[in-house]
Amino acid sequence: MAGVSMEEASAHDLHYQFPPAGAYRLNRCLFALKSDREFLARYLADPRAAAKEMGLDGNEVRDLLAGDRDALLAHGAHAYLVFMAALRVRMEREPSDFEYF
Amino acid sequence: MALVGAFACAHTPQLLARPGTEDREIVLRVHEAFGRVKHRLEALRPDLIAIVAGDHVEAFFLSGVPAFAVYVGTECAGSFGHYGYRFPIHEPVARAVLEQGVERGFDLFYTQDARLDYAFYVPLHFTMPVPAVPLVPLHVNVYLPPQPTPRRCYEWGAALGEILRGRPERIALMASGGMSHFPGTDRYASPDLEWDRGILERLCGGRGHELAAVTGEELDKTGNVELRTWITVLGAVGAARAEVYCYAPSWHHGNAVVEWPV
Repeated sequence: MAGVSMEEASAHDLHYQFPPAGAYRLNRCLFALKSDREFLARYLADPRAAAKEMGLDGNEVRDLLAGDRDALLAHGAHAYLVFMAALRVRMEREPSDFEYF
Repeated sequence: MALVGAFACAHTPQLLARPGTEDREIVLRVHEAFGRVKHRLEALRPDLIAIVAGDHVEAFFLSGVPAFAVYVGTECAGSFGHYGYRFPIHEPVARAVLEQGVERGFDLFYTQDARLDYAFYVPLHFTMPVPAVPLVPLHVNVYLPPQPTPRRCYEWGAALGEILRGRPERIALMASGGMSHFPGTDRYASPDLEWDRGILERLCGGRGHELAAVTGEELDKTGNVELRTWITVLGAVGAARAEVYCYAPSWHHGNAVVEWPV
């Protein structure tokens, strides 16, 4: 890993990494999916339009709609946000699949 | 004398909303342990619960990422799926923690209106005593690097314990989180149960202080970034020997419920 310090190499191996500034809009979109009910409703009604509303580029929209975790992580998405955004979408789309305590 | 009990509770959302992929028996075992915590809290009769949890990028998105935060409003509220929740905050103790914490050299963030993440809610959904008591919610950054070091969490917990012991109220302290899990990563189905068991063994032996020396990298590698909340509570309980109410690992999560006598 030429040009990458030991410290950086170690940081690249972490499961939960610093969210790069270039992925801010993608992470904001994932955050909104998990934490903003109104945005989640808009996404469920029209995923592509909602993703574009958040300013995502074409590849990010494609990978978000496909639920392609690895591709989203490669774009700089935070792993936890990818996980919980997907879970919240599933809870809304398939509520009867859950037992609520 | 005011610290009357200390606990650590898992908070995985599948304990609240169980998908079909989750073993119901394991979920119910954790609920049973939560029930024991609730009965203990009712016997201990705390005036409040100081709960240490790691916000899941809910209250604190990238507009502001505090290492440690204290909720000092009159109340706090949040939602998860169709669960909505609201709790009163014990303002005198919250302010004492904030002011005395800063006085002791911890540059704490505070909030009067941040949302309350489900990390706080899930254990309280199951363990809140009757009659209910107010909270002092205390956030530790566990998911957004760079997180506070385990040693710093332990030191903050030690200061927190001193502050709480100096109060006239009866206070229960609770850590929410852990143990091993890797949400959103390719290790999701491979929690490090062996590491968890080694930690629990140390805690049962009263060796919790050793966790101050664990590195942040080791926490990440073992799926235990959330153990920072436990380490904070360990700073407050010192060498107390843990009683493990349950360790009920699922296919993706080391669910544990623990009490420390104080």
